[in-house]
Amino acid sequence: MARVKFLCDADRCIECNACVTACKNENEVPWGINRRRVVTINDGKPGERSVSMACMHCTDAPCAAVCPVDCFLTTADGVVVHNKDLCIGCGYCFYACPFGAPQYPKVGNFGSRGKMDKCTYCAGGPEADLTLAEYSKYGANRLAEGKLPICAEMCSTKSLLAGDGEIIAQIYKERVLKRGYGSGAWGWQTAYRETVAI
Amino acid sequence: MRIIASLKTALAAFALVLTLAVASPVSAQQSIQGVNPTAQAVKEQDLLRQLDAVSGRVSIPDQKSGLLIQPQGREWRQFHNTTMFWVGAIAVLGMIALLVVFYMTRGKIMIDGGFSGRTILRFNVFERFVHWLTAGCFIILALSGLNVTFGKSLLLPLIGHEAFTNVSVIAKYAHNFLAFPFMAGIVFMFAVWVRDNIPEGGDLAWLKAGGGLLGHDHPPAKKFNGGQKLIFWSVILGGVALSISGVLLLFPFFATTIWDMQIAQIVHGLVGLILVAIMLAHAYIGSVGMEGAFDAMGSGEVDLNWAKEHHSLWVKEEEAKKASMPKGMVAAE
Amino acid sequence: MLIKRKTGSARSSALQAVSAGLSSGTLDRRSFLKKSGLAAGGLAAFGAASVGTIRKAEAGPMKPGVPVVTRKNICTHCSVGCSVIGEMQNGVWVGQEPAWDSPINRGSHCAKGAAVRELVHGDRRLKYPMKLVNGEWTRITWDQAVSEIGDKMMEIRNKSGADSVFLLGSAKMSNEGAYLYRKFAAFWGTNSVDHQARICHSTTVAGVANTWGYGAQTNSYNDIRNSKTMIIMGGNPAEAHPVSLQHVLTGKEINRANLIVIDPRMTRTAAHATDYVRIRPGTDIPVIWGMLWHIFQNGWEDKKFIEQRVFGMDEVRKEVAKWTPEEVERVTGVPGEQLKRVAETFAKQKPSTLIWCMGATQKTVGTANVRAYCTLLLATGNVGAQGTGANIFRGHCNVQGATDMGLDVANLPLYYGLVEGAWRHWSRVWEVDYNWLQARFDEVPAKAGRPARTRKQNMELPGITTTRWFDAVLMPADQVDQRDNIKGMVVFGHGGNTVTRMPEVQKGLERLELLVVADPHPTTFAALAKRKEGTYLLPICTQFETDGSRTASNRSIQWGEKFVEPIFESKDDYEAIYMLATKLGFADTMFKNIKVEKNRPVPEDILREINRGGWSTGYTGQSPERLKAHMANQGDFDLVTLRAAKGPNAGDYYGLPWPCWGKPEIRHPGTHILYNTNLNVRDGGGAFRPRFGVEYQGKTLLAEGSYSAGSDLTDGYPEFTFGIFKKLGWDADLTADELATINRVGGANVDAVSWANDLSGGIQRVCLMHGVVPFGNGKARAIAWNLPDPVPIHREPIYSPRTELIAKYPALPDGRQLRMPNIGATIQKTAVEKGFAKEFPIILTSGRLVEYEGGGEETRSNRWLAELQQDMFVEINPADAAERGIKEGGWVWVTGPEYGSKARVKALVTERVGRGVAFMPFHFAGWFQGVDQRSNYPKGTDPIVLGESVNTVTTYGYDPVTGMQETKVTLCQIKAA
Repeated sequence: MARVKFLCDADRCIECNACVTACKNENEVPWGINRRRVVTINDGKPGERSVSMACMHCTDAPCAAVCPVDCFLTTADGVVVHNKDLCIGCGYCFYACPFGAPQYPKVGNFGSRGKMDKCTYCAGGPEADLTLAEYSKYGANRLAEGKLPICAEMCSTKSLLAGDGEIIAQIYKERVLKRGYGSGAWGWQTAYRETVAI
Repeated sequence: MRIIASLKTALAAFALVLTLAVASPVSAQQSIQGVNPTAQAVKEQDLLRQLDAVSGRVSIPDQKSGLLIQPQGREWRQFHNTTMFWVGAIAVLGMIALLVVFYMTRGKIMIDGGFSGRTILRFNVFERFVHWLTAGCFIILALSGLNVTFGKSLLLPLIGHEAFTNVSVIAKYAHNFLAFPFMAGIVFMFAVWVRDNIPEGGDLAWLKAGGGLLGHDHPPAKKFNGGQKLIFWSVILGGVALSISGVLLLFPFFATTIWDMQIAQIVHGLVGLILVAIMLAHAYIGSVGMEGAFDAMGSGEVDLNWAKEHHSLWVKEEEAKKASMPKGMVAAE
Repeated sequence: MLIKRKTGSARSSALQAVSAGLSSGTLDRRSFLKKSGLAAGGLAAFGAASVGTIRKAEAGPMKPGVPVVTRKNICTHCSVGCSVIGEMQNGVWVGQEPAWDSPINRGSHCAKGAAVRELVHGDRRLKYPMKLVNGEWTRITWDQAVSEIGDKMMEIRNKSGADSVFLLGSAKMSNEGAYLYRKFAAFWGTNSVDHQARICHSTTVAGVANTWGYGAQTNSYNDIRNSKTMIIMGGNPAEAHPVSLQHVLTGKEINRANLIVIDPRMTRTAAHATDYVRIRPGTDIPVIWGMLWHIFQNGWEDKKFIEQRVFGMDEVRKEVAKWTPEEVERVTGVPGEQLKRVAETFAKQKPSTLIWCMGATQKTVGTANVRAYCTLLLATGNVGAQGTGANIFRGHCNVQGATDMGLDVANLPLYYGLVEGAWRHWSRVWEVDYNWLQARFDEVPAKAGRPARTRKQNMELPGITTTRWFDAVLMPADQVDQRDNIKGMVVFGHGGNTVTRMPEVQKGLERLELLVVADPHPTTFAALAKRKEGTYLLPICTQFETDGSRTASNRSIQWGEKFVEPIFESKDDYEAIYMLATKLGFADTMFKNIKVEKNRPVPEDILREINRGGWSTGYTGQSPERLKAHMANQGDFDLVTLRAAKGPNAGDYYGLPWPCWGKPEIRHPGTHILYNTNLNVRDGGGAFRPRFGVEYQGKTLLAEGSYSAGSDLTDGYPEFTFGIFKKLGWDADLTADELATINRVGGANVDAVSWANDLSGGIQRVCLMHGVVPFGNGKARAIAWNLPDPVPIHREPIYSPRTELIAKYPALPDGRQLRMPNIGATIQKTAVEKGFAKEFPIILTSGRLVEYEGGGEETRSNRWLAELQQDMFVEINPADAAERGIKEGGWVWVTGPEYGSKARVKALVTERVGRGVAFMPFHFAGWFQGVDQRSNYPKGTDPIVLGESVNTVTTYGYDPVTGMQETKVTLCQIKAA
């Protein structure tokens, strides 16, 4: 059974932010919510690398484990989705998430958070596939249309890979062998307790 | 565990800053020359080894999003789902068990001399208002707090997801809003009772004697005995800890990082659970556990015999005060 | 269970994901999961009361059950030319899909390309025509606007002359729009028609054309995949051309190629380099000569190439000999060893390519820089073959096309220049009387010691550039070399914050009698100055709301389809220009051969007219039908060679990159790589263009022993005329019809009819038959005797921090160019005398961000992009920041040496810049010297993000050849605000 993952090849990532705006465009993500972001490490120094990051759809997802209302589930493809009808915006998933994926619209008083929003791997949500209800809460369901997440599909340098974890690991491995360097499959150790052996 | 990890992080960061500081004067324009940026690419595993986290620069204003990977989330999860779960369960259930056992063995603590029929004013209206304000808030805060930790295991299977979410949303708002009167109550409590809760020598003796709970000798006590002082200070210190950590959690990332938030949550959870356990004991002894005790916070007037047995010194003080008052004047109220 | 369990049975194989197309070696883009067979699982619906929607349902793209129309257009941002696929429902653009088939982007986009759908959402677009009435924006109709604008233009014309209306066009126009606008200027009677190329690659066009013939990228983005060594010098394509990095980085990986970045900033591109060379801004020529010093010293040059195909390299050797490693290090800061390594790599690990952008061009010495770059390529034999070349990454989506179409003060469309022959050629194509055209131009009286000009002389004199329009408004009339000052300005698709010396721009705007801004957005022009009257805003739609062709940087021409009708009351360029021409009374003549449907000239017909006249640049074979066939069959083209192996376009190069010789019917495939002698001209081969005669000082300018594959002539040869044809006996190959046309064109002087003005295309057709290049086979010039500094020499920037170097390397003496004085030398001298280098000790340079483009009005209005860069900033080195007590994210004042200019921006403390160097992006506007000008925009059209423009503090300095401004090197001081 395919288990989908993201892999950002930091040796290709140029912080162009296509993944970010593609996500906004495809899912009509509102201002202030960043389902995906690009972080530049060692900015301006030799060795600088940028990494595009969103929900990594972890194995044994910490968000799901700590959610007090049990609103998460992992699909058969390995996508971690959540049910906004159940979410109470408590913020626990943010504390537990190693990747800063959960986002909260600011609503109400104090720092009170609305329903959590995060990358859905362009797989929509618990609503029926490709319905307006699904779209308005979770965004597009490209997986149901036979497509991959838009961020990876539109990546300017084919740095961000999405798809079956084994296949993208293989692609990455081939690249590293061919070019002779690679800074690692960022986040894999933390998300999947495995890395791409080179 | 977590604290150690964060200390380690801090030390590592400090060390890095030091090396940077040493390196920087020579760097700038020249040291960057002649480099192969590809060969020097940062590697995730190295960064994680160095700092336990990976962070960098983002262009969006949400600076916390510059934290790329924080494996500590895993430790927090471990704490939340396992450590705190069991600490809480043991503390709360343990206390209940203890109280049951105590009730079975000791039974209700009766007034030795029976009701005298005469009462003495122990807490005035304001004191009682403060107490019940704080207590009322605390009960709801505690229940809603317990819900986020244990509700998933206890309540959710009973009522289902949808109903549980509805309960939890209400609980969340109750928790957020009642936090403020609760904090006010803590402040008032401190102001009203701190004078009588300064620890002194007698408290030790009182505690040594087990406060008369185990035997039948009641060590002498002023307005508050050693046990009550312990309750007072747990409430004040616990309340302050809960308030600070709670406010930090209420305004996410206002002045905190994710790690501060995690620590705040740990503090909030642990202190809350322990305070719940303490308050169970407090509630027990103030109600079913002791004859005549509830009146203190009920009508405010306690039976004189009860007062003499439990707060002999305080009764003397009160009587002395009364005696020294000019004729025609009655004590307040 | 409340959650829908997504059972994976139907989709498990589906995610056998991403194909080999992503791995570094194999290139099968088509399998990138396109038809991975992911089936929509029939999943149990779950309906619960919606407690937590975060978006409005109507914002959603795909409405279930409504038919979807899919169309293809080209991204409207940079010059890479990424295809965009739009999905439309009920005439609304609801979705964007990756265009996998495009050999240029293979589905990819950058932040801007992935956000283009928002442009047509248009929250902040200009919605209807407006004018200022006593300082208030007032809605008017199109008819009223055009009528009032036309009257005002005529008033200025009658009072001050046609040259007093400055026409500013746009690299955002399609080829057809740009061509129409240039034609409009010709019919109006002025050469002062310009566009963004002036401030981006005008010096490249001049420098490169003066070296080997044409002003364009010689190879392509895709061809970089063949390079073994790439130098990117003065460019940051990771931010400016992100999708190009797909080709650069893949090339780097599959060839284990050297990627050398030479730049003052450690850019996002430099992060991926194998060698990063940090230089002091403004020292490009010493760096290049420093490299050549090692190359000549060690005999690494390509001697055969130089001998056969290069003229004047010996002159260069003399200049290069002065640039010893020590002197280079003293001037540029680059250590000799590193430069030697770079030079050796470039010369020996071939093929090598040199990639450059604004870092080379936006300089007072821009043209000289570019020629030095070309010389390095020539010396190492790295032009005219796969993996080599001058890979000039141009800026806007159609800046190449708009340049080709002559939105340039010194050219008619397709580089014919302004000479009489050029005007006569185009008047033949336009079927308009040459004398009528001439009569449209001003007579210029004698002024300030300069002689008077006749209409004909004025018609042949280059106009005023966009870098100086405000000087031409403000300066005393006798300083401006035309009948009168500029009084009116009509701007189509151009930002107002794009030129240096903004405090003067503001004054110039205030002085203008007429200001017309025709644009999707009001632009900075509308907000910068406090104008009260005489200001008109015309809503123009984006290229997604019209159709037409655009030319990518690699000269590939792509046809874009209209996605949706123009939104609000906007109109496309064609219609707006037609309305103006109608009002001004020359529409009938101007659109004589162009079909007009409901007021809108048909773009296909405009392109056909371009095809009929574009012989000089090979813009003749790209008929709309061929271009559309390419767009429809993009998948047939090879990723690396860009050539179609199969399908209806078999043999063609993608987008028929010019030159595409002859008429469309002869099906020339276009030219992927310019000057490539390894191929037959019929297959896109070529040679250097002998554009400057056949000999100079007794030495031949024609190639020696070098010729394109399969050529009937096996040595150098000049451009082909009917006269030469007769000598070769090739006139016999011409058909009777062709001969008739040649006779008609030539009249009394039929022998002079050439490949460039033979309207029959016969000469080009017969040239291809014989395998010869129509423009001839010459040598590239390492010396350009017609330009200042025939061999490029280093000149310190006008505002240089290294005042001690100025005596040895001074600016060019003051002079007059392009109708304006250029007093760079005086200003440089004054700056030294006043000690500006002490008062303003930090070098200020500027450049692009990936999220924004150009003046930024459009992109800063796009909510998906604006969120990513919300504040104008200055990059400052940690050491400089620490000295000044400046903190990351804190507000600072950046002050400049002219006009007491200042800008309030945020500090970004970073080692991207070296000590003593600061960088600011150039996309911001809407704040001016600390004042927020948001209220100056018409309501609801203000961009989401405003900020100070870097050009508030940039300073004087103009390239003598093209009038290019200096945006890359000036001085500033920074202090905490």
